[in-house]
Amino acid sequence: MSGGPYNYSYIFKYIIIGDMGVGKSCLLHQFTEKKFMADCPHTIGVEFGTRIIDVCGQKIKLQIWDTAGQERFRAVTRSYYRGAAGALMVYDITRRSTYNHLSSWLTDTRNLTNPSTVIFLIGNKCDLEAQRDVTYEEASKFAEENGLMFVEASAKTGDNVEEAFLETAKKIYQSIQDGRLDLNAAESGVQHKPSTPGRNNLSSDNQGSKDNCSC
Amino acid sequence: MADILSETVAPADLKKFEQIYHEQLSSNSVTSKAQFEYAWCLVRSKYSADIRKGINLLEDLYNTNQEGHRDYLYYLALGTARLKEYSKSLNFCSAFLSVEPGNQQVLSLQQTIKKKLEKEGLKGMAMAGGLVLAVGALVGVALATKGKPSQ
Repeated sequence: MSGGPYNYSYIFKYIIIGDMGVGKSCLLHQFTEKKFMADCPHTIGVEFGTRIIDVCGQKIKLQIWDTAGQERFRAVTRSYYRGAAGALMVYDITRRSTYNHLSSWLTDTRNLTNPSTVIFLIGNKCDLEAQRDVTYEEASKFAEENGLMFVEASAKTGDNVEEAFLETAKKIYQSIQDGRLDLNAAESGVQHKPSTPGRNNLSSDNQGSKDNCSC
Repeated sequence: MADILSETVAPADLKKFEQIYHEQLSSNSVTSKAQFEYAWCLVRSKYSADIRKGINLLEDLYNTNQEGHRDYLYYLALGTARLKEYSKSLNFCSAFLSVEPGNQQVLSLQQTIKKKLEKEGLKGMAMAGGLVLAVGALVGVALATKGKPSQ
């Protein structure tokens, strides 16, 4: 809030994808409102949410596009993939079919985003252990084989929800610092907000924050 | 600032769905799916003529296709809000909420519209207020200069 026109230095674009009923909107709601939405109706088209987070001392605004899982929206929701810096790919640990469809979600994501897009796999509803239909080990292996980050989470209890969104942001931030993500590329999914006068530019931030940065 | 109302469709996407719709139109076999997808892109266009066209297509769907009502109402609310027809837009939100009272997605759209309305209403009032001041100042100057010669 220190006098600049923006109270964040980056904007990251996220998308949330996956079969219908896996809890995408509930994860978003839990992350932005810290509340569980029971009886969540089917999303129409896309929903939008934002939250400002702190990564390695930098304020980052997440702009999150939560896509409808129903097939009839699929053709148009695909156009939201473009320019996403992060993709949260969600399945339901109590419904194997939602897990089996992951490879097609992954193919879509890879085809429609850029190589630096961070893809995070979330096995939602981990509070329903008794109804589990996909083991942690199996999903973890799938994630590893495909180079995805992975966590099991619960939009209901809030378990690991923050982690998934924040770890994705950390990974994106790391890519910026390593120079793997080109901020000038039109579809990087990251916008750098002009810093206030006298503040460090990106390259000096880089040196300054590397030591105390836990990511 | 990006939000659900300021996001726009990529021209290539609009073109793609327009083409599908027109192909079906020329063979007289428009599916509700193609019409909806095209309308969904149109209401997110930068151009108000496109948005208007999208609204017409959605109204047509609403009258002919019972099962997609919630989708059509939502995008009718979004399209009219983008044209700054806020009261119409809020009516579509209310119609939706009368069927699904707790729908977060529509409640949040409704809130966004109300905020816009408030902000633009205030701006309008500020401009009107400014105008009153300006006219007042002119009248004052006119009176002052008029009064001068007699001094």
